[in-house]
Amino acid sequence: MTQLQGAIAAIRFGMGARPGEIAAASSDARGWLKAQIKASAASIPDDGLLSTKQVYEARQEIQMENGMAGPPGAPGAQKGKPQKADMVLAPGVMPPGAAPGQPGDAKEMQRTVNQMIQRESREGLQKEVAVRGRHAASTDTPFAERWARFWANHFTVAARNAQIIGLVGPFEREAIRPNVFANFGTLLGASSFHPGMLVYLDAARSIGPSTEAAKRRDAGLNENLAREIMELHTLGVGSGYTQADIIEFAKALTGWTLGGPQTARLAGIRPNAADGKRQQRALREVAQEMRDEAGEAVFVEQLHEPGSRTVLGKTYAGAKGQASAILDDLVMSPATARHIATKLARHFVADHPPESAIKKIEATWMKSQADLSVIARAVVDMDEAWADQPVKFKQPEELLISVARATGVDSAFGKDQRAVYQSLAQQPFSAPSPAGWPDDTASWSGADAIKKRLEWANSVSRRMSRAMTPNEFLDRALGPIAGAKTRQAVSRAESAEQGFTLALMSPEFQRR
Amino acid sequence: MTLALNRRHLLFAGFTATLISAGAANAATPESKGRKLVVIILRGAMDGMAALPKIDDPDIRAHRASLIDPKAIALSDGFALHSAMPKLAAMYQLKEAAFVPAIAGPYRERSHFEAQDLLECGGVKSVSDDGWLNRALQKAPAAYSAVSIGPSQPLILRGASTRTSSWSPPVLPEASDDTLNRLMELYDGDPVLKASLSAAVGAEAVAGAMAGDKSMGGNRGGGPAQYTPQLQAAGKFLAQPEGPEIAVVSLEGWDTHTGQNGALQQRFTALDNGLDALRTQLGDTWKNTAVMAISEFGRTVRVNGGQGTDHGTGGLAILAGGAIKGGRILGDWPTLKAAALYENRDLTPAVDARSVFKGLLRDQLGWAANDLDGKIFADSAVAKPMGGLV
Repeated sequence: MTQLQGAIAAIRFGMGARPGEIAAASSDARGWLKAQIKASAASIPDDGLLSTKQVYEARQEIQMENGMAGPPGAPGAQKGKPQKADMVLAPGVMPPGAAPGQPGDAKEMQRTVNQMIQRESREGLQKEVAVRGRHAASTDTPFAERWARFWANHFTVAARNAQIIGLVGPFEREAIRPNVFANFGTLLGASSFHPGMLVYLDAARSIGPSTEAAKRRDAGLNENLAREIMELHTLGVGSGYTQADIIEFAKALTGWTLGGPQTARLAGIRPNAADGKRQQRALREVAQEMRDEAGEAVFVEQLHEPGSRTVLGKTYAGAKGQASAILDDLVMSPATARHIATKLARHFVADHPPESAIKKIEATWMKSQADLSVIARAVVDMDEAWADQPVKFKQPEELLISVARATGVDSAFGKDQRAVYQSLAQQPFSAPSPAGWPDDTASWSGADAIKKRLEWANSVSRRMSRAMTPNEFLDRALGPIAGAKTRQAVSRAESAEQGFTLALMSPEFQRR
Repeated sequence: MTLALNRRHLLFAGFTATLISAGAANAATPESKGRKLVVIILRGAMDGMAALPKIDDPDIRAHRASLIDPKAIALSDGFALHSAMPKLAAMYQLKEAAFVPAIAGPYRERSHFEAQDLLECGGVKSVSDDGWLNRALQKAPAAYSAVSIGPSQPLILRGASTRTSSWSPPVLPEASDDTLNRLMELYDGDPVLKASLSAAVGAEAVAGAMAGDKSMGGNRGGGPAQYTPQLQAAGKFLAQPEGPEIAVVSLEGWDTHTGQNGALQQRFTALDNGLDALRTQLGDTWKNTAVMAISEFGRTVRVNGGQGTDHGTGGLAILAGGAIKGGRILGDWPTLKAAALYENRDLTPAVDARSVFKGLLRDQLGWAANDLDGKIFADSAVAKPMGGLV
């Protein structure tokens, strides 16, 4: 019986059992999970991965080396008009139709620089995928890892295009992982104001419509981030907010953008011949400061829609603190508690979780003021999450990681890792939309998906260690969860490879 | 019971061999024999007014001058088709394509995810676990089956009917028939996995001819580069002698909040090429085929701050195929006067998307009208089937 509790802890709450893990978790399964509820357990080794700031510095370096950027007057800089190079530097803030009719060689150079930056970003992403996969396969705090991944998916920033590829890894490591056991408000703020999210959901280029900056550039409001924060990150769709609330919230979010030379221009901070010398110098200093903030999220008052905003019937004054004040109120809305409680119950209990489980998390949310460490403990303590049979169909990444945990990283992650992820339709950091990856069986168990899993199992089984029999694999990976039917099918297989294929494809191993 | 499956056997037995447990199948009715339906879901909300601007609307330039293609190809009734879609324009001239502007389902909020779910499950407010095409298959006038292209089955085909399958090309070496049979036996007590594996084997049998054909994509993400391979794969399935009657294809990447013109140029070109490739792949079957492409909703009438558009309401349905009575713009144009806009931002819907769905099911594939209301589309009496589409 206790073996079963240990197996559930390692498999449903964790990332799949490593050799000996079921036994280790069995003496006190809930205690074993709760001991992982601490910020350090959700972090990931840096292993030479770049921070957001370093990503931008690397981009800047590529541009400098190719004579494309630098302070005004520096070699290669074109005076008085927007530089195309800046568009690469600050991907979220591309002014529409900027710099038309560039000379041919400048265009050519631009293309080269873009390609170099793209290559660098893609390499960075591959490194992120590898480090994150290895970490999940070897961590001894796998519940913290699952918890962190749940929130990374909740606040999806996906590698949708070249502009965002370099930011998805840093976003997860900087905004999500350090805060998954903090207050939800801290996590929400870190996500909403991180450069990755500002770029991914277009807020970096959203400008208060009545500002001078908007008029000068014929630019304006973009409501994408405001909408998704309300719909996906907090209140949930259909919970009563209106289009007017979204617009008001979007206006409150204006001003939050990325630092960098383009920001100074966007805000209209540029020394002008008509200004006095002192004023010119002051403006130059501000512009310099903004340049130094490349890769940081900044609040630029000149881009912020002035005035107070009314969201969900409450009026918010102020400028810089306005959006945060709205976020704070979203955290403690009962709709947010309900929305996130339902998602957590779906993740840890069942595709269609019982109301009792949702209610428990909801109540804990309100009582703890959205303290995620208290909520994590409540999830562990829910009897609903401890059903004997595996209930949740593993997503492809979970499937690969659980094999790696049972057999060793190298057997599960081969050279063809990227093709495997692609074949199984779950490339890490590449969810199809801001809603993240779906968390239900039907989304992952269609005919073609099962066939692709079988192809994968068939090819990975050839690599699996000869030091282990398929039945030993069942013991390590599933323990008491492997049923008689599966054990029999695996024992009767005509070869070790076929035995592994059947074990990997067994109903028990396909679920958690 | 153990099903001994053999791929070669299935190849001859045809697509419906997977449906052995589905019971006795009716023969297709004579009038619907050989007719096909392709449903294309343009995910992310295509800007219908960029695809097919009503260029003689007196207000369109005030709202979105920078988003109107200056080279758009004039069709009729003051509408013009984006110049990236010349092949579709040619189909229109041949009366093999039609358009339904200002179309929308009953949903009036602006969440992509909820709107796509409702579009696919055919509901008004609440999302169900099954799609309208799956419920339609349960009430089909003959033993119809359906296939979706891509590694995950879309909601529109999910549900109790097992006459569905999905397919994308193999990437890794395939398992042996023996392994497959043993796994099928292991899944005896697991209806979910058993149904999927059976359907996969069936699709693979039909797709046999495609094995090794590297041009058949569909699993490399859903971007524009995949539109043509996905539509080609659908065409290949439908053109098989025992192939399914219905194919579903999801084309992703239409959410153009910023820099819309460049993004749409690329996507319209890909869609145009994809429809043309579908026509070529279908060969003689094209003349009996109706294609419908639709998004979850339209986009805002006015250009936004980033030369893009935001989530809107009234969109555009593209109809194509030899079976379509084409060369026409269907429905009504609600106009772009400020007072005519929905919530002063969106194109006001003039046609209920369910009317088009129902019209195609009834007239193209012979569904009984009384099954369409209630059973397939709940609470849909207001959306009468649109007649004369085919």
